[in-house]
Amino acid sequence: MNADTPTDTETDAPPGTGTEAESGVDRRETRGFFGRLRASPFLSDLLSNRLAVVGLSIIVGMAVVAVYARFVYDLNALTQSRLGTEVADRTPPGWIGPAAWNQHLFGTDAAARDIYKRCLYGAWLALKFGTITVTVSTVLGVSLGIIAAYYGDVTDNVVMRTMDVLLAFPSLLLALALVAIFPRELGLWRAVAALTLVYTPRFARVVRGAALTVLEDEYVDATVALGATDPRVLARHVLPNTLAPVTVQSTLNFGLAIIDLAALSFLGFGAQAGTPSWGLMLSRGVDNGLLTGKWWLSFFPGLLLAVTVLGFNLLGDGMRDALDPRMREAID
Amino acid sequence: MASLRFVLKRLLLLVPVLFGVATLVFAILHLAPGDPARIIAGQRASTEQVNQVRRELGLTRPLYVQYVDFLWDAARFDFGQSYSISQGAPVRSVIADRLPVTIELAVYGQLAGIFIGIPLGVLSAVKQDSATDHLTRVGALSGISIPIFWSGPLLILLFATYLGVLPTSGRIDSTLFLPTQWEFMGRQLPLTGMITVDTLLLGRFDAFVSAARHLLMPSLVIGIYSTALISRMMRSSMLEVVRQDYMRTARAKGQGAKITVMKHGFRNALIPVVTIIGIQFGTLLGGAVLTETVFGINGMGLTIVRAIGSSDYPVVQGTVLTFALLFTLVTLVVDITYGYLDPRIQQ
Repeated sequence: MNADTPTDTETDAPPGTGTEAESGVDRRETRGFFGRLRASPFLSDLLSNRLAVVGLSIIVGMAVVAVYARFVYDLNALTQSRLGTEVADRTPPGWIGPAAWNQHLFGTDAAARDIYKRCLYGAWLALKFGTITVTVSTVLGVSLGIIAAYYGDVTDNVVMRTMDVLLAFPSLLLALALVAIFPRELGLWRAVAALTLVYTPRFARVVRGAALTVLEDEYVDATVALGATDPRVLARHVLPNTLAPVTVQSTLNFGLAIIDLAALSFLGFGAQAGTPSWGLMLSRGVDNGLLTGKWWLSFFPGLLLAVTVLGFNLLGDGMRDALDPRMREAID
Repeated sequence: MASLRFVLKRLLLLVPVLFGVATLVFAILHLAPGDPARIIAGQRASTEQVNQVRRELGLTRPLYVQYVDFLWDAARFDFGQSYSISQGAPVRSVIADRLPVTIELAVYGQLAGIFIGIPLGVLSAVKQDSATDHLTRVGALSGISIPIFWSGPLLILLFATYLGVLPTSGRIDSTLFLPTQWEFMGRQLPLTGMITVDTLLLGRFDAFVSAARHLLMPSLVIGIYSTALISRMMRSSMLEVVRQDYMRTARAKGQGAKITVMKHGFRNALIPVVTIIGIQFGTLLGGAVLTETVFGINGMGLTIVRAIGSSDYPVVQGTVLTFALLFTLVTLVVDITYGYLDPRIQQ
């Protein structure tokens, strides 16, 4: 929303621009990614934020579940209908009915498939496709934003006006319209492609704002005067200083990506029939169990979806607070 | 005068964006697979018949001619006739029918957001770091995290399937019929298309109650996100404002804490909240797509989903462009309001 998010240039001064007066000890401590991370007040702030830690734990937990499901369950078995086998369709979770409590923990769906296993596999699909969507749109947006800010003028205008056009649509609607371009067989991939295009402008805006602030700093002029090439200035000096707002934006966007992927599947423009994606499971659950009171068909996929998204929002929120410590002081 | 120039400048900046939007929509539909001529002619039509339809639609003309034509049509808001979902009906009348439905839903959702979100945000800020604050913040974050297509079905399950106190879908009881016009001072006037307004204009209170009961769950569901977002924005904006010097001055003059917060804090803190209410209108329109699908409300959102699903390109063009136009105009109004509230923006 706010393109001109200020960056914290004090804590991570770019290497190579330090004065002679800087002691050797200080330089060693701030060397390398992890060294700098450990020394930064950002991380300690983040870890002292209880909600952010809860968020991080949810994400890590979901990731473990996702990888477990990916390697233990057979996708084919989860996709194909199991009607006609000894398992009944739409049986309630085992701990409600007369069956053993751990028999079908989340019940079975209209095709007699085990909802518990499908939900766990759904975590894998959500995280996998969410990661791809967020990564690609981040990389695209960051590149476009930095290029626009650095070259300015015509380049800036062309890039940013194109982004303006994409931002002129409500995001889910643009995604819906874009999905129509791609053939149905692509399944979730066409949702990924559409959402990548939808999210890219947001990153481009945030990064352009941050990059413009950095470019005003004198050390950038100094490095150019010393003969640094364009790519070097961009990669070594501009990029690192835009990372903070980008990381926050990515994390918050991750939650949104997972919701939007599920929404497209829910509306019938994402995952193909049978796929254990949360959005599709929800839509089938609504069709098959809503009016007959078979709540478990739609409850569990939605619960996992909401919890995962909450995890990303908690973490992203904590990151934003850690970057903007003014928000933490109490008022009288 | 400065503000008039600001408004004119913003309006002028709108032209290239809308031009780009129309171009993008044209591009999307020409890249989309599926042959519109085949869709209209039907699956059993012969190749000659399909070619005939293609000529009638003007699809055999060079692409740039079609493009210029499309821009001209879009400028006059004429998108031709629907292929399939309301076969033969002009897209313009489809939009005129469905847009009020969606706007009504969005307005109620937004009202829910404003009337619940703002008090919650103020409360949260004033009692920063208290249990109330933590509860509100976690609640707001959950509100943003819960998808409409989950909260909607859960509410339907609870209030319609189990308790049976609210209807599951639609806009009004199917046994109630409403006339298409209403009488005012001896003249027949068209209705607004917003059902809660129409039923009141007609003086049909039974129908109004039915419409309100149908709208209750959808409005709440679409309003959850607004409520959460507005309360968060209100809280952080309030926290920002109470740290300003004029707040300390007011307190130093001996004004009570509560009066200072309400008189100086609240009003200034509202400025960014007004912006978020506008910006988030786009999310609300996206939410309308999902809400209308869940609750079977025949508005713009459900129309877009159906049109894309059945490759009804004129309807897709019309509805998507309408949404983009609406969104852009709201953003413009927000910008202008913001410039009015905070004149520094106009620079």
